Amino acid sequence: MTSEDALPVLKVLIIGPSGAGKSALLLRYCEDHFDPETSTATIGIDFKTKKLSVRGQAYRLNVFDTAGQERFRTLSTSYYRGAHGVILVYDISSKSSFLSMEKWIEEARNNAQPEAVLYIVGSKLDKVVSGGRAVSTEEGKAFADAQGAGFCELSSKTRENVRRPFVEVVDRIVQKPQLLKPPNANNNTLSISNIGSDYSSACPC
Amino acid sequence: MESLGDEPWDVVICGTGLQQSLLALALSRSKKRILHLDPNDFYGQHEAAFSLQEADSWVTTHTGSSGAESVAQTTTAAPAEGSAGPGGRVFRNANVWRHPEAEANGLTFSRAYSLALAPQIIHTRSKLLSQLVSSRAYRQVEFLAVGSFYVHEPARGDEPAKLSRIPSSREDVFSNTSIPAKSKRSLMKFLKFVIDYDSDDQRDVWQAHADTHLSDFLTTQFKLDDDLRKYILALTLTLDGKVTVANGLAVIHRHLTSMGLFGPGFCAVYPKWGGLSEVAQVACRAGAVGGGIYMLDTSAEVETADVHDKVSLKLSNGISVQAAALISSRDDVSHGETISRLVAVVKSPLKSLFEATVEGAPAPAVAVVAFPSSTIPASESASDPPVYAMVHSSETGECPNGQSAIYLTTHTSPSAKKNLEQALGSLLATAAEQETPICLYQLYYEQTVSEGTPLVETVGAVPKFSFPSPSPNLAFDDSSLDTVKQAWKQVMGDEAQDDEFMIFEDREGADANDEIYE
Ligand SMILES: Nc1nc2c(ncn2[C@@H]2O[C@H](COP(=O)(O)OP(=O)(O)O)[C@@H](O)[C@H]2O)c(=O)[nH]1
Ligand SMILES: [Mg+2]
Repeated sequence: MTSEDALPVLKVLIIGPSGAGKSALLLRYCEDHFDPETSTATIGIDFKTKKLSVRGQAYRLNVFDTAGQERFRTLSTSYYRGAHGVILVYDISSKSSFLSMEKWIEEARNNAQPEAVLYIVGSKLDKVVSGGRAVSTEEGKAFADAQGAGFCELSSKTRENVRRPFVEVVDRIVQKPQLLKPPNANNNTLSISNIGSDYSSACPC
Repeated sequence: MESLGDEPWDVVICGTGLQQSLLALALSRSKKRILHLDPNDFYGQHEAAFSLQEADSWVTTHTGSSGAESVAQTTTAAPAEGSAGPGGRVFRNANVWRHPEAEANGLTFSRAYSLALAPQIIHTRSKLLSQLVSSRAYRQVEFLAVGSFYVHEPARGDEPAKLSRIPSSREDVFSNTSIPAKSKRSLMKFLKFVIDYDSDDQRDVWQAHADTHLSDFLTTQFKLDDDLRKYILALTLTLDGKVTVANGLAVIHRHLTSMGLFGPGFCAVYPKWGGLSEVAQVACRAGAVGGGIYMLDTSAEVETADVHDKVSLKLSNGISVQAAALISSRDDVSHGETISRLVAVVKSPLKSLFEATVEGAPAPAVAVVAFPSSTIPASESASDPPVYAMVHSSETGECPNGQSAIYLTTHTSPSAKKNLEQALGSLLATAAEQETPICLYQLYYEQTVSEGTPLVETVGAVPKFSFPSPSPNLAFDDSSLDTVKQAWKQVMGDEAQDDEFMIFEDREGADANDEIYE
């Protein structure tokens, strides 16, 4: 039986500087929605979930947004727990957002599990036509290569390449069996959700 | 991007300890504009969990015998909000020790450790768990089972020192081979009594003795012998060993009635990766998802309080903000109750302590070992308080595989540190399979507490609510949740609906049938 709930779950984070287009990427990929006006889109979004098949196997992808905690660099260590992949986003029309990637890579490496897949995204590719590019593709690619991370440029506005980082991240994740089942992983984590409504009626004896 | 100073905040919360963080969670679905600060550059305040490096730098600001800020406190009219600056005054006399060949013996990179400052186990009956479920925050927290409780028995004649597991269910008592049959009957009688001790029938048995010592009560009313009394007192986890009948029965009742609630063989849980620190971080994230703004490494001082219905705060980064309400934590720690803590990382998984004792029980990640005062070899007088050790396996994520993190606690006394070290030594000698494991790292400090009630004041025309410091208890105490609710009502005012407190729908993205974190 392959019910949907039995799909392997992968946790993917999107991090990077404020305004880079992280929430826009999340919404475009998961809901095919783009709103050029809102920069407050982040509010209320914990994560979005999306099914994705790679190499004939379906996965449930949970994509987490920073909830604005990147703004003053206050993402907590708990945010990174159990993440299989981290997508780092910079804005190709902002040199400073690209320059901050070094710090974000370091934060990801410090907090995510050692095997987690890192992937760098240059966003707002549509701005190139109006002469808005501030970071060349080669620069971005060279940086990602040096970090052993995947790389692509995309536009959430035009949809160009929007699926690519997710497919490639999952593809890399599933090639690391130790990431899907870390050596010390086991079933000792408890389920406490069953205490909901009939909490008080549970028999103590 | 909007700037922080433009519009007034409905509430500025100073400090990311558990209570402030739970408040942020409670407010996360309201429309309140919330600025949440912490003077420290880490989450969790008094409940934080540290990598080795973070622990080192924390120690450097907590070496003194009183908070370094205490002088400034008394002379400044407008003290910084939230635990008196990064140092705070709750913790002091901190020092750290490393084995001279720690690295060679397996002490690995800093972030492989997540050592909790004030770890507490959470009984399965605690309202904290039901609130984490009803608020949907539980999905981001991994809970592990707290397994057996042991009493350390010193060597008696030919018998070497050992750890005796405390039986805490009928089956446990029946299958125990070291308790004589007569004692078993007394113990069963007592356990049966505790299960409904607060019923009309049973209250007569103890109410006249409510404020006397539990220990005497156990002898006179239930004829429990020395050994059994030791077991029962250990289950109360009380640090002064002088627990009253009323308090003691309540705690043992909680223990027994929590047993089996979430599964066989355990009565309490512990959040993976550093205990309540993790819960605080998850609660803060919920606050951020709800639109709250988070700044660490930032303290606030009251600038002017005479602005109509607002208070003006100066943040340590120079920005001025307006707030309609202030939340902080009490800095007036009394120097009455102080506990001493020793955190040790040892090179052994101490497997024998983490065996599941009931079929189908999850493998426990935490074991509790009590050292009744009389069993501490170093103890100069019989009145030395007991020592408790919470032993955490690497399953907690607090140390790497093959090691354990041991949290020892006792009441502060001149011999406290020595007693903690002795207890650690005895524990390692008795719990190890073969040779006594070596200790790689130790962190010692003392923790004081404020009065247990919140401080409710006004600054100008604005309410200020200060949470009490965390209780020194080794088990989470539900009364702090009532304080969170009190603060929530203060902030919500007329909008507060009692039956909506901490009860939320799942956010879009996780539909109710998804059991994805289990
Ligand atoms: N032109 C263009 N603008 C974008 C794109 N992605 C995001 N933006 C805009 O960039 C701003 C910041 O985006 P947002 O997703 O909120 O960034 P975040 O802070 O990283 O989550 C918003 O005004 C978006 O509309 C894109 O692909 N193209
Ligand atoms: Mg965003």
